[in-house]
Amino acid sequence: MHKIWLISKREYLTRVKKKSFLVMTLLSPLLIVLFYGIIFYFSFNKDLAEKKKEIIVLDQSQLFVNKLQDTKTISFLYNHDASHDPKAVLNESGIYGVLSIQLQNGIPTFSLLANEQPGLNTLSAIESKLEKVLKDKKMQEKGIDEKILQEIDAVKVNINTLKNTSEGTEDGNSGVTTIIGFLGAFLIYFFIFLYGVQVMKGVIEEKANRIVEVIISSVKPFQLMMGKITGIALVGFTQFVIWVALVTILSGPVSTLVMNLVDASPETVTATMANNQGVQTPDKSLSLFKDLGSLNLPLLLGMFVFYFISGYLFYGALFAAVGSAVDNETDTQQFMMPITLPLVFSIAISQSVINDPNSSLSMWLSMIPFSSPVIMMVRLPFGIPTIEIIASMACMIVGFVATVWFAGRIYRIGILTYGKKPTYKELFKWLFLKN
Amino acid sequence: MIIEIENLNKSYQNHQALKNISLSIEKGKIFGLLGPNGAGKTSLIRILTRITQADSGVVRFNKELLSEKHMYSMGYLPEERGLYKKMTVKDQLLYFAELKGLSNAIAKEKLKYWIDQFDIKTWLGKKVEELSKGMQQKIQFIATVVHEPDLIILDEPFSGFDPVNAQMLVEQILRLKENGATILFSTHRMDSVELLCDNIALINHSEKVLDGEVNEIRRRFRTNHFEVKYQGAPILEESLFKIISHEEKQGIHKTILQLEGPHKNNEIIQNLLSKNIQLISFGESLPSMEEIFIHAVQQKSGESFNHA
Repeated sequence: MHKIWLISKREYLTRVKKKSFLVMTLLSPLLIVLFYGIIFYFSFNKDLAEKKKEIIVLDQSQLFVNKLQDTKTISFLYNHDASHDPKAVLNESGIYGVLSIQLQNGIPTFSLLANEQPGLNTLSAIESKLEKVLKDKKMQEKGIDEKILQEIDAVKVNINTLKNTSEGTEDGNSGVTTIIGFLGAFLIYFFIFLYGVQVMKGVIEEKANRIVEVIISSVKPFQLMMGKITGIALVGFTQFVIWVALVTILSGPVSTLVMNLVDASPETVTATMANNQGVQTPDKSLSLFKDLGSLNLPLLLGMFVFYFISGYLFYGALFAAVGSAVDNETDTQQFMMPITLPLVFSIAISQSVINDPNSSLSMWLSMIPFSSPVIMMVRLPFGIPTIEIIASMACMIVGFVATVWFAGRIYRIGILTYGKKPTYKELFKWLFLKN
Repeated sequence: MIIEIENLNKSYQNHQALKNISLSIEKGKIFGLLGPNGAGKTSLIRILTRITQADSGVVRFNKELLSEKHMYSMGYLPEERGLYKKMTVKDQLLYFAELKGLSNAIAKEKLKYWIDQFDIKTWLGKKVEELSKGMQQKIQFIATVVHEPDLIILDEPFSGFDPVNAQMLVEQILRLKENGATILFSTHRMDSVELLCDNIALINHSEKVLDGEVNEIRRRFRTNHFEVKYQGAPILEESLFKIISHEEKQGIHKTILQLEGPHKNNEIIQNLLSKNIQLISFGESLPSMEEIFIHAVQQKSGESFNHA
């Protein structure tokens, strides 16, 4: 144990003392917050991303004059007579485009002349404004007056989901659960990859620099491997704790900013979100922040830490085995594939797990240790039976004990074997080779 | 005897690295393990340091079967550098010392001595990758001996050293020997250890060719060759001796003679003095380790020895 501690202390200190660790640790959350801040800002405030477009309407029918509603990105002008030639008007005015409306057999036809191919958003925005005018006109013709029309426009639906529990009902929160689930899953995926690869690189360094030869006589291979894995895990944990702290501090101002934007322009948001076939309506995204409180956060956090550590141990051991089997990093490709594939697969499949968190596919994927750290994170916020959580944790523990054993067997031989890259058959033989 | 090896065999997938090797290393002496590249020296060392296990055979350390506890009484300097490139010299030395079982405080204490000896105080904060090859070698050497092992195994210790540092290392090795340590040297540069080693073993193609005390071996392989340096007319062959080689540089002749039959040195000197030459030096030319090695290998393979 003392040796493992010495080794992990070295792994931890050499990494944490590096300048790049400090820089990455401080910079990453800033970058993440900035990154998402920008995405949120632009998706809620489309007009910043798009230039304001002016469109001259040449309306033969006179049905639309002064009736088309301006949006944040488009404004309609009616300062030209309908008889003008659209091309001449466009060239002379130098604006974005000219919308000409002609009547053919009493039915209006529309054409937009512009100097560039208009984007889908622009087109559908114009179309929806035109449709609105035509629909209003039809309704008025059927005797519905303008006041009623306004009331119709004001109708909005927002479903509050409730979950049936033994104690009664509980507020549902699909939006938050989805986000929390994805966030947890992605973090675990990210950490396993980032630090798993560090384990592998560390092993290759020791092997390539013949450091192993110096220390293996006083340290058992298993101690060396476990020391490395735990040391790097602690680095990851340190980094994670700092990040959580920083993100919490920094995301305060950012979410206020986002909420302000949402409040300021509900209509634009509705329009743009509708155009994008958005996942969330703005009303819902506002409630995201309220819903956070209704989740079982201690359970989620506890489970996160468990799957974070066990998932990392599970994969970290495999990465160590790969590192020990090869002489340099270029040779790792072949052995990395079977390790990275299930990880990438879990992230890819998590979308369908979210759509149906309690399907049998979701259930089984959260039992298999290869995918359970990621899949369980996605499922947990939706609430799953305690028995499944326990079963999954048990599988995970068995899983990492198994991979640590497996990796240890390969490691002890691989770390002192130089030259030709081993085949899978040889690796298999190493497993059962007597020391 | 600190190490006794009996009938050691080791095979890798497609070749035998060690064939029936038996040898022993005397306590407190410097032992040279000599042989060309690929002869099996490193395989043997790896068994001694328990990096690998022999297929058959016995290794005893201080009369006990070699086991894990003996590892703390050994220090091993591998042929290729085994240091963390991104770690500072100080952290690195401390880490290795602690892995070898020293407590933090004792490790620091012992390192102080070596830091002084090699005068590396100014280098302590530097990363290993910033050091020259020779400096790295010094660090590696300190890491090898800091826990004061009874047996110090040095695999090609002089590679990467300039003559000044090599001399420094020789002095340290001799001092370690004075303090009672046993040193096992492994090298393919046979001449480099002739002066240092008390005993040697020659290994070729996985087999031991010969072993024993250095001076005894050299006497065993003496060829009755004498080297004469002189000025004047070149010596000609006569009944007393044959001439093996002759060269002349800036008026000074160097001739290697081989005596015919049992003659005393005095007889030859008298004979030489009777010639019209100015004698500069005269001495027996013992074969170099390299020559002995070639001779021994050829003897072993049953061929007669032809002097080149």
